[in-house]
Amino acid sequence: MSPNMNATYKRVVTFLWTILWASMALHSPSLAQTSHGTDVAVVVNSDTPVADLSLSEVRKVMLGERQYWSSKLPVVLLIRAPAARERDVVLRVIYQMSEAQFKQYWVAKIFRAEAASPPRIVYSNDMQYELLTALPGAIAFVDSRNIRPGVKVLRVDGRLPGEKDYPLR
Amino acid sequence: MRRRLPVLVGLMIFAAGAARAQTAPDQTEQIRILLERVQQLEKRVGELETKTIAAAVPTAEAAAPVPAAPKPEMAEAAPAPAPMHQHEQTESQATTRQLEARYPSLQIRGFGDVNFSTTDQRGVNSGFNLGQLDLHLASALSHKVTYFGELTFNAQPTGYTVEVERSIIRYDYNDFFKLSFGRYHTPIGYWNTAFHHGAWLQTTISRPEMIKFGGTFIPVHFLGVLAEGNIPSGGAGLSYNAGVGNGRGFPISRPGDAGDNNNNRAWVANLYSRPAKLYGLQMGVSVYRDKITLPVNPAGNEFREWISAAHIVWTKETPEFLAEFANVNHKNILTNAITNNQAYYVQMGYRLPWFEKTLKPYYRFEHTHTPLSEQLFTNQDLVQSIVGMRYDITNYASFKGEYRNFKRLPTAPRVNGAFFQTDFTF
Repeated sequence: MSPNMNATYKRVVTFLWTILWASMALHSPSLAQTSHGTDVAVVVNSDTPVADLSLSEVRKVMLGERQYWSSKLPVVLLIRAPAARERDVVLRVIYQMSEAQFKQYWVAKIFRAEAASPPRIVYSNDMQYELLTALPGAIAFVDSRNIRPGVKVLRVDGRLPGEKDYPLR
Repeated sequence: MRRRLPVLVGLMIFAAGAARAQTAPDQTEQIRILLERVQQLEKRVGELETKTIAAAVPTAEAAAPVPAAPKPEMAEAAPAPAPMHQHEQTESQATTRQLEARYPSLQIRGFGDVNFSTTDQRGVNSGFNLGQLDLHLASALSHKVTYFGELTFNAQPTGYTVEVERSIIRYDYNDFFKLSFGRYHTPIGYWNTAFHHGAWLQTTISRPEMIKFGGTFIPVHFLGVLAEGNIPSGGAGLSYNAGVGNGRGFPISRPGDAGDNNNNRAWVANLYSRPAKLYGLQMGVSVYRDKITLPVNPAGNEFREWISAAHIVWTKETPEFLAEFANVNHKNILTNAITNNQAYYVQMGYRLPWFEKTLKPYYRFEHTHTPLSEQLFTNQDLVQSIVGMRYDITNYASFKGEYRNFKRLPTAPRVNGAFFQTDFTF
C-alpha cells in the first residue's frame, strides 16, 4: 500500500470512529433523558388548604411522609402513567429515582405499614382533571400549557410555573 | 484484507451503536410522542362529536360538566376544557369511581427467597434451603383506619411453621399522631422497621446478626400500643415512635403474644430525623426499657434491660450507607450484677451505572460482643465481613451472591463461606 493510501486509510478510520463515538454520545440515555421542556405545575383540588409549598415539602408529600393536608383531609397522590413527561419530571426532580426505584420505594413503603396504597396512576390529562375535581385532597402534576380552571396551582419555592427558577421542569 | 479488518470492525460497531441508539430512550420518546398525538386526536374527535351532537340535540350539552369559576389563586389564563362527549363523560366518571377509595380495600403482596450456602465450617452441610414465604396484607378500613398484617411460612425439618409476624390496626389522627395496636417490629434502630421479612427489600442476603429473626440481642418483635408521627420541626424533619407493650417473653426472643410473663410493661421510644436539605439522610436514636422474668433460676430470675441504639443511614443507592449501634444493658435484680453487650454494623453499597443499573456491589462489617459475665444471653460474639453483589433480574426479583468471612468465639477458627439467594416479590 502506498503512503498516500495509508494516509487515506487512517483518515477513513478516524472519521468512522468519530462518527461512532458521536452517535453513541448523542444517543446515550443520559443525554436523551435530560431534555428540558415546559414547566410542570403542581395542582391540587381547589378546596385544599394550601397555596405555597417548598420543593422539599412537595417531596415530603409525594414520598408519603406527609399524608394529611389537615386532620380531616388526607392527601390523595395522583401520578401520570409511565412515558408521560410529567411523570419523568416528578421522578427526576422530586423523587430523584429511576422508574424501578420508584416502584420498589412504594412496595417497601406499604410493606413498612407507612402507607395503605401507592399513588394512583392516571392515564390522561382528562382523567387527571376528573380526579382532581372529584377527590378532595388530590394533588397532581400537569404540563403548565394544559392547566385548566377549577383546580389550584401551587407555588413551589414561592414561584409559579413560567417564572424564573421554577424548580419543576 | 488485514488492513480492511479495522474498518469493517468500525462499521460493525457503528451499526451496533446506531441500533443501540434506536433502543430504550428512542422508543420511550416515540411512545411519548405517539401518546401525545393520540391524546390530541381523541380531544379533536371529542370536540367534533360534541359539536355534531350539540347541533342535533341542544339539551345534551347541559349534561356536560361546567368548570368551576376560577378562584384568585386558581389558573385563569388557561382555556376552558373542551366539553366531553356524553359517552366519554360516562366512561370518565366510571374511571373516577373506580379510582375513588373503597373500604375495606385489601391488598396482598408476597415475598419469597431460595438460598444456597456452602462453608468450610466443620459439621455444617452445604446445600439449598427455602427461605421464608412471606405474605403481607394491607387494608384501608376508612381513610383514617388501616390494618396491616404479615404472615410467614417457615421451612422446618418436619414441615412448615406459620408465624404472625405483624398484625397492626392503626388510627391516623393526622401526620403528627397515629396510634396503633398489635404486634410490630420493634422500632429500635433502622433495619428492623425498614426491611421486615422480605429479603428482596434489603440489599444483602441476610439481616445483620444483631437483629436477625429468632435472635435475642434486640427484641425484634413487640406486642402492645404504639404512637408515631412527625414532629413540627421545619427542615430537621423529626419523627417519633413511642410504645408500651409486653416486652420479652420466654424464650426471650419472643414478645409474649399469649400474655406477658410479669406485671411490668416494656416501653420503647425512637426519635429520628430526615433533614429536608439532605434528601436520603436519616439519623436517629432509640431507647428500650424492660423487666425480664425467666423461669426459676438460683442466680436470680429477674433482670432490668436497658437498650440504647443509634443509627445513621443514607438511603440513596449511589452510594447506600447504613450504620447502626446498640448497647444492651442487663442488671440482675437479685445480685445487682451489670453487664453491657454491644453490637454494630456498617454496610455500604453502590448501584453501578452500567447494565441498566441492575448491579449493586456491597460490603458489610459487623461486630457483636457479649461479655463472659453476661447472665441472660448465650455468647453471641461475632466478627464478620461480607462482600457481595446484588443483580436485579427484573424490577421485582433479584439474585445475590456473597462471600462471608466470620469468627465467633476468640478460640474458634475463622469460617469462609459462599452464599447465594434469589428473592422476589409478587
